[in-house]
Amino acid sequence: MLNGDSLTPIYVQVAEWLETEILNGNLRSNERVYSQYQLADMFNINPATAAKGLNILADQGLVYKKRGLGMFVSPRAGERIRRKRINRNLKRLAQELAMEAERLGVSREELLDLIAEAWIQARKEELE
Amino acid sequence: MRAAVECSGLTKAFGSTVAIDNLSFKLPANKITGLIGRNGAGKTTLLKLIAGYLAPTGGSVKVFSENPFNNVRVSANLIFVDDKMTMPQSLNLGEILEAVGGFYENWDHRLARGLLEYFNLNPRQHHYNLSKGMKSTFNMIVGIAARCPLTIFDEPTVGMDAAVRKDFYRALLKDFLQHPRTVFFSSHLLNEISEILDDILLLDQGRCRLYMTKDAVKEFAVGLQGKEEAVAAIAGGSEIFYRKKLGPENLYLVVPNRFSEEELLAARRKGVEVSAVPAEDLCVYLTAKHKGGIDDVFDRN
Repeated sequence: MLNGDSLTPIYVQVAEWLETEILNGNLRSNERVYSQYQLADMFNINPATAAKGLNILADQGLVYKKRGLGMFVSPRAGERIRRKRINRNLKRLAQELAMEAERLGVSREELLDLIAEAWIQARKEELE
Repeated sequence: MRAAVECSGLTKAFGSTVAIDNLSFKLPANKITGLIGRNGAGKTTLLKLIAGYLAPTGGSVKVFSENPFNNVRVSANLIFVDDKMTMPQSLNLGEILEAVGGFYENWDHRLARGLLEYFNLNPRQHHYNLSKGMKSTFNMIVGIAARCPLTIFDEPTVGMDAAVRKDFYRALLKDFLQHPRTVFFSSHLLNEISEILDDILLLDQGRCRLYMTKDAVKEFAVGLQGKEEAVAAIAGGSEIFYRKKLGPENLYLVVPNRFSEEELLAARRKGVEVSAVPAEDLCVYLTAKHKGGIDDVFDRN
């Protein structure tokens, strides 16, 4: 769900949620995306905010508009989202991780061990 | 965009007290706008001027291009919901809905009865016997079901418990999605309503302090917290909306959000925590007379 207290604006969170839906395969190429009104109802937000989220995806070409029919997932959108997230989110998270480790006086090796552990945990959960 | 309400130089004085001071703004049609302000900022006076309950002492207000004062065409197209709505004593709730429904063209009786049932209000009850929160709930139901092109809520949630308030916001949003209309909504609980709003108008001593989209308000300022020198260095000479000392060395500042992502990351590296400033807090800071809030009173001694 969306987090109103986050530094990330709600419309960006809506865009990220839609991206995740595409990434998961819940929304496939050339499939219709939720309308701004459906999103507004789902997340209990103003439809203008929902539209702003949809427009972020449209501006990046991850969805395309069919006049009178709504927005549809662009071909290969999933792969592009994956690459974008590695470049932006994962790098940012790594930076935060490194900063917190620095503050706590955690060594490089300890940090890498922690990451390896989390990695194994995530794999396990996926297999279950 | 078509304006539902247009105020220009609008002024209302009660004796020597100026409640609304030369206010000019346009309320766009078919949006939900939040009217925010401290006690005594002039919110209710402004809403009553728009509803035509009060006549301005200066300037003008237009609702759907007409003067609302003493105007039946405007009254038929707007509803003003607050906790002082007068309902006929001889009618029970069910009868009131029938009567009100006859006045408003877009009235949805099924919705009204459905909401009445959902909120456990007995149609055979009388309005004067309702508790404060139930009265507010009933008035809110009338306000939604009337589907007026201009729907004004003045502190509609007085006495409502948290669950009812949540249901109310959702009911309003859902009905708005189906039947767009202009909603002007005053509230002290901005954090609760902010997600359903398009725009926020912040009133301060009868003047407009801020009028922008809700998203812009949420990005308007950031909070910086950390060692005093580090925080001050990042804030530089920028305007300060709020400052609070946290212990002997730490400082929390709320400043305009003019930082790039790189600058914010650099701030974090120097141990300064960067946080979002909830719209409600920002509105309090922007309309405060003391930069340190209530603490100023105690720190003086």
